[in-house]
Amino acid sequence: MTGLGSARAENGKPVFGFGERLNRSLEYLRFKAKSYNAIYACETVSRVVSEQHKYRLYIEMFPKDWEQSTKSLYRAGYFKAYNERTNEFFQLINDNRFPLLEYWHDDPELELERFAIPPMNFDLCCEEVDFANLRDSYLAGLMFYFNEDEEIWNYFSEKYGVDKESLPTIKTAHANIWKEKHRSKEKPFSDLIRLVDHSTGNPWLDVTNCQYPEFFEWNKETVEGLTEAYKAANLYFKNLEHLDRRIEEDAQTFFSELISFWNTGKISSWR
Amino acid sequence: MQPDESPFEVLRAENEQINPAIILAERLMRREAAELLSVEEVNEAENILTIGTQEIEVIESHRKAFQKTPASAIDYIPTGF
Repeated sequence: MTGLGSARAENGKPVFGFGERLNRSLEYLRFKAKSYNAIYACETVSRVVSEQHKYRLYIEMFPKDWEQSTKSLYRAGYFKAYNERTNEFFQLINDNRFPLLEYWHDDPELELERFAIPPMNFDLCCEEVDFANLRDSYLAGLMFYFNEDEEIWNYFSEKYGVDKESLPTIKTAHANIWKEKHRSKEKPFSDLIRLVDHSTGNPWLDVTNCQYPEFFEWNKETVEGLTEAYKAANLYFKNLEHLDRRIEEDAQTFFSELISFWNTGKISSWR
Repeated sequence: MQPDESPFEVLRAENEQINPAIILAERLMRREAAELLSVEEVNEAENILTIGTQEIEVIESHRKAFQKTPASAIDYIPTGF
């Protein structure tokens, strides 16, 4: 037993030992060595205020984890600009709310005062479209954007026996497909087209790797908003699973209804 | 600035104060890190940060202006030379 770690009191709460007190002393001495430098003082105040915002969020969102945490409030963590406790908060967000520590957030030198989110949707702007790796329903949505591409039609023809000639002609998108509200029958098609078009209004689905990323601040509204948006984004992909099953059941009907929705904003019976 | 005042005299006549961020940083570093600041304390810290940063910027701009001041001959030898 070195006394450098932390122990727990009878009530289960961590009791910080010599190690944490040593870390605190070192932190204070680092500060004292430069404490009459106004620029450094401003950096210190800024860092403390930033930490405080994150601690408050941590306590509000994960009160039990905060109470039980033995992570140091002074020693630097993986992201060196932050102590272990703040790093723990980032990890909790990543594990329980939404993906945070992916994308380009893997550099230990990084400052996470503002953060970007990784795109969940497929990029149409600069990626070469690899049809084989996409869900069939997503591909079906893409056919409106790649109507002249033979590859996509060959794929559907080979897999489902559906030919372009046997389907209604694809016209210009009807304005009604972008309506906010749709009947339950049309809603899955509307969601699919919005997903493919990157116009869902959901940041997880609308951002792409090709555009300058939107940066988010650490506050409760933003974190909760992104959490809800992440759940909603996953529902869009659930919708694709459902649509895939419909294609497998009756591809001809599915494509005809989808094209009908695109052309007219509603689903007409094609038989 | 009066015509007979040197830049140094102008500087010396300015109010002298310690940057408020230095005082606040000392106070913050002496408290327990786990103690949460109240909303008022955070607001106060943010205000002081703004004032402290502005003061640094003002001094920096004065320093740059001071460095651009052309040299001029004086008609006496300063003490020590």
